[in-house]
Amino acid sequence: MKNLQNRDGGWPYRKGGGSSAEPTVLALLAQSVEQADRESIERGLAWLRAAQRQDGGWAPQPQVSQSTWVTALVALMPRDSLGVSRHARAIDWLMGQTGREASLAYKLRNELLGEGGGVIGKHEGWPFFPGAAAWVTPSALSILALAKAQRYQMAGGIAQRIVVGQQFLMDRICQDGGWNYGRANVLGVEADSYPETTGQALLALHGVPPSKLEKPLVAAQAQASRCQSAEGLSWLQLGLQAHGIAAAGPVRVLAYRHIADTSLGILARAALRGRNLFLE
Amino acid sequence: MNHGITRRELLSISAGNLALTRCSRMSGRRPQPRVSIVRAGYNQSIYDTVRRLLVEHRLDVRGRRVVIKPNLVEFDPGTTINTHPMVVHATLEGFRAMGAAEVRIAEGPGHRRVTMDLADAAGYFETIPHFEDLFIDLNLDDVSQVLLRDPFSRLHSIYLPNTALSADLLVSLPKMKTHHWVGATLSMKNFFGLVPGSVYGWPKNVLHWAGIDECIVDLHAAFPRHFAIVDGIVAMEGNGPIQGRPKPVGVLVAGKDMAAVDATCCRIMKINPASIRYLLLAVGPHQLDEANIGQIGETIPRVQTPFGLIEEWQNIRL
Repeated sequence: MKNLQNRDGGWPYRKGGGSSAEPTVLALLAQSVEQADRESIERGLAWLRAAQRQDGGWAPQPQVSQSTWVTALVALMPRDSLGVSRHARAIDWLMGQTGREASLAYKLRNELLGEGGGVIGKHEGWPFFPGAAAWVTPSALSILALAKAQRYQMAGGIAQRIVVGQQFLMDRICQDGGWNYGRANVLGVEADSYPETTGQALLALHGVPPSKLEKPLVAAQAQASRCQSAEGLSWLQLGLQAHGIAAAGPVRVLAYRHIADTSLGILARAALRGRNLFLE
Repeated sequence: MNHGITRRELLSISAGNLALTRCSRMSGRRPQPRVSIVRAGYNQSIYDTVRRLLVEHRLDVRGRRVVIKPNLVEFDPGTTINTHPMVVHATLEGFRAMGAAEVRIAEGPGHRRVTMDLADAAGYFETIPHFEDLFIDLNLDDVSQVLLRDPFSRLHSIYLPNTALSADLLVSLPKMKTHHWVGATLSMKNFFGLVPGSVYGWPKNVLHWAGIDECIVDLHAAFPRHFAIVDGIVAMEGNGPIQGRPKPVGVLVAGKDMAAVDATCCRIMKINPASIRYLLLAVGPHQLDEANIGQIGETIPRVQTPFGLIEEWQNIRL
């Protein structure tokens, strides 16, 4: 992992690429459970700190002039390592984001078109990119970041936003018990769930009574046993561990192909040993 | 059946008419595009077939950088959802044989983050030697901001992957499929996979809000150096692009003009190309006319087969 770190301190998605927020956060989190190289971590943190935008959020990579979903990932970093002020501004940015379907204009449009009702817009989640609809992944990551921030009781309304965000996820449980990237039903057809999003949603639903998650927990274990991607399996293991379940993977050996899935693998193995950094 | 017009349809038609008015102002005379239809199967002969296709269209790629963009969508060990790996490999070898300096394969799936695992499950690693070294995940590529000149969509600029932007020739290699949002997904819609997920997410929902059809046209315009080969050997009908049924057609459809290629595919699918909104926006009805497209190889009637359509798209039947 250290070999793939760029000279500017950040990590790229792939060897030779520019530094990006997501692989940098995951590499830093993974390093904190492995044998830590202080110098490498400090350089990574310096890159992250310098990449924060004026509005408090982070862009996926420096070439992008827009704060996006990766802000939730950065806000998962320990507050002290990121800096108290930087962390607080990141949380403020997250608190200001909702899916476009939750806007008054969208709801009014739906009324005019006679398309009211359903789960869309009922509970507020988070979008990947400002101005778009809310989806499972950014909502789950934002809930996790807010749950960590809640310990410092910074902004008012965090607890309420977490509850509503979790309801957003509960509204989107697929018929098979897991989570797709968004709605459970499109044009009247049930959507299949994915390992990545199922694991992320279960992580974000940490603390929800098991009685409300019976079907998802069974579905997630079944997905883990037949999972075809290392990244998917890692998210499932992290999500299931949040509910006290240690999930075994498939018989076949899965390939770790880049920084993000390698880091997630390290974090998942740490969770199986009892240390889930997404919940610390 | 209710033939009354809904408020949604009224809004949609108004927007479409406005766009078409603009399109007809923009489109001038252009040489008649040529589109090849060849019979093919997923077997060794596909290598010769694709090479002949490339020669037929006189693509000069000597010393050039070619990027092949297949359609990888979901884990599917069969051949229905994703572009078949033999079509991708045959195209790669074809361009190499024609003297391309570099040929890469690149894709950025719209729903799944785990692109390499999708490719593995689809047989790409097994079929294409050194696939991992040749492949770029466009969702995770470095990006540049591109200003859209006179866009159809509500976007004024878009972040696009440097691998695609730096290509001398971008080759769209989609699967021939029906699509529940736009009617049919072919070579033009395949360019949605150029939009980086790391920036816009999974799915690339910003494009939906900006207008799916309009974004397809804007992406098409943003990459003018392109070529298309549509994998219609085993296509998909019904509730595409993921939950549809296999539809064996046994053809590859290719050409330099993606709108003409897609219009030809629509006719093969017994879909009226003029009812596919993004095709109309891109080139207008005149250029979608069968008489204005030079067909090479098989004729449309010899390979035409009606694709099953979901209820919402019954009105696009040819």
